[in-house]
Amino acid sequence: MDFLISSFAAALRLIGSLSPDVVDAVRTSLSVSAGATLFAALFGIPVGLAVGLSDFRLKGFAVTALNTLMAVPTVVVGLLVYGFLSRQGPLGALGLLFSPTAIVIGGTLLASPIVANYTLASVRGADARILPTALTLGAGPFRAVITLVGEIRFGVFAAVIAGFGRVVSEVGVAMMLGGNIRGYTRTMTTAIALETSKGEFSFGMALGIVLMTVALIVNLFLSLLQRR
Amino acid sequence: MTELYRLRSVTKRYGANVAVDIEALTIAAGRLYTLTGANGAGKSTLLGILAFLLPPTTGEIFYAGERIDWKSDIARRRRKVTLLHQSPYLFGGTVFRNVAYGLLARGSAGKIADQAVDRALATVGLDRFRDRDARKLSGGEAQRVAMARALVLKPEVLLLDEPLANIDRETTGLLETVIASLPAQGTTVVMTTHEPDRSGRLNGGSIVLEGGKVAHADL
Repeated sequence: MDFLISSFAAALRLIGSLSPDVVDAVRTSLSVSAGATLFAALFGIPVGLAVGLSDFRLKGFAVTALNTLMAVPTVVVGLLVYGFLSRQGPLGALGLLFSPTAIVIGGTLLASPIVANYTLASVRGADARILPTALTLGAGPFRAVITLVGEIRFGVFAAVIAGFGRVVSEVGVAMMLGGNIRGYTRTMTTAIALETSKGEFSFGMALGIVLMTVALIVNLFLSLLQRR
Repeated sequence: MTELYRLRSVTKRYGANVAVDIEALTIAAGRLYTLTGANGAGKSTLLGILAFLLPPTTGEIFYAGERIDWKSDIARRRRKVTLLHQSPYLFGGTVFRNVAYGLLARGSAGKIADQAVDRALATVGLDRFRDRDARKLSGGEAQRVAMARALVLKPEVLLLDEPLANIDRETTGLLETVIASLPAQGTTVVMTTHEPDRSGRLNGGSIVLEGGKVAHADL
């Protein structure tokens, strides 16, 4: 127990002293997660809207596929993107492997199904009168959908935040595609894994506290939105 | 009598269920019609078709002499017709935002739109409601806002789905007066109701639906 308490105290000191390694890992984590979330929103929101608002023959299959993609292990996504970005892969010439961009690509693939599914759920839960009302008042199809998005905006925000939560807390993609390079691609999660394995438990704990704080803020915001 | 709508062999099916099956129906411009029938007779479905929101499964619809092409120019057609639901949906935000919505969708904004909104709200007795939160209105007030939102567009056709259900007598009287005045302003009105004597009171024609078919039409 003394070990845990002294590690916790050391972790708080590391956070308080703004240790450069801690700050770097936090900054990298937040920036790649924000980038991945942005691209996941740009892709996932339209997909969720399209699946939710249109009727097509394979709609049931599309919904099942989106649900399944939410459960894909991060290391599988990492493996897939690694295959594309590695030197022998089709995109190897771009030299993106072990860069923050690679983590953003992997994170986008991880978060997009979550954003799409949450958006789809919001569309399904939306008042069925919204679109006919907008259309009968003279809105074209695009404006009517924008109106719908405005009416379900809290659900869409929740979708984006859930996507961010997924990316910021994962370790597989960041480790495999970022390579855990100090000061460059080392995120909070990969740093925790590395430092703990090196016996630097208090350092790992410091990042764990920051990560938990970020997760707490994200979830508080999410539950706040879901209550609206 | 100027013909506005002409329906020819129009059906609307939902799976095996035939909601509407109309061999022929003509609706004249500038008149008021009540549309009656039991629950499930197809009244709301017919209004959805007339509002160009529900494409018929089969048949043809002519509007102002032109055959409706549901694939190309339907958004333009919709701007001539406004449907007011029995339980209208009000968008989040102010009463003004709701009433101005259709004007903004048509690219109309600024002082003229502001004045049009104020006039429409005054017509339904809500001139002081402009900045109120639309989601905090009573049922009758919401119905009147929805009516103002339709009136401000000066549509060629106003389709009303049970507009006087579930509202108090005072509001009913006000809305009846507003509705009755519309044909004189050039707006054709088709209104569903469960009260067959309403067409006499409103000095209009009547259409009776039974099982999706026109059982009687006094046009």
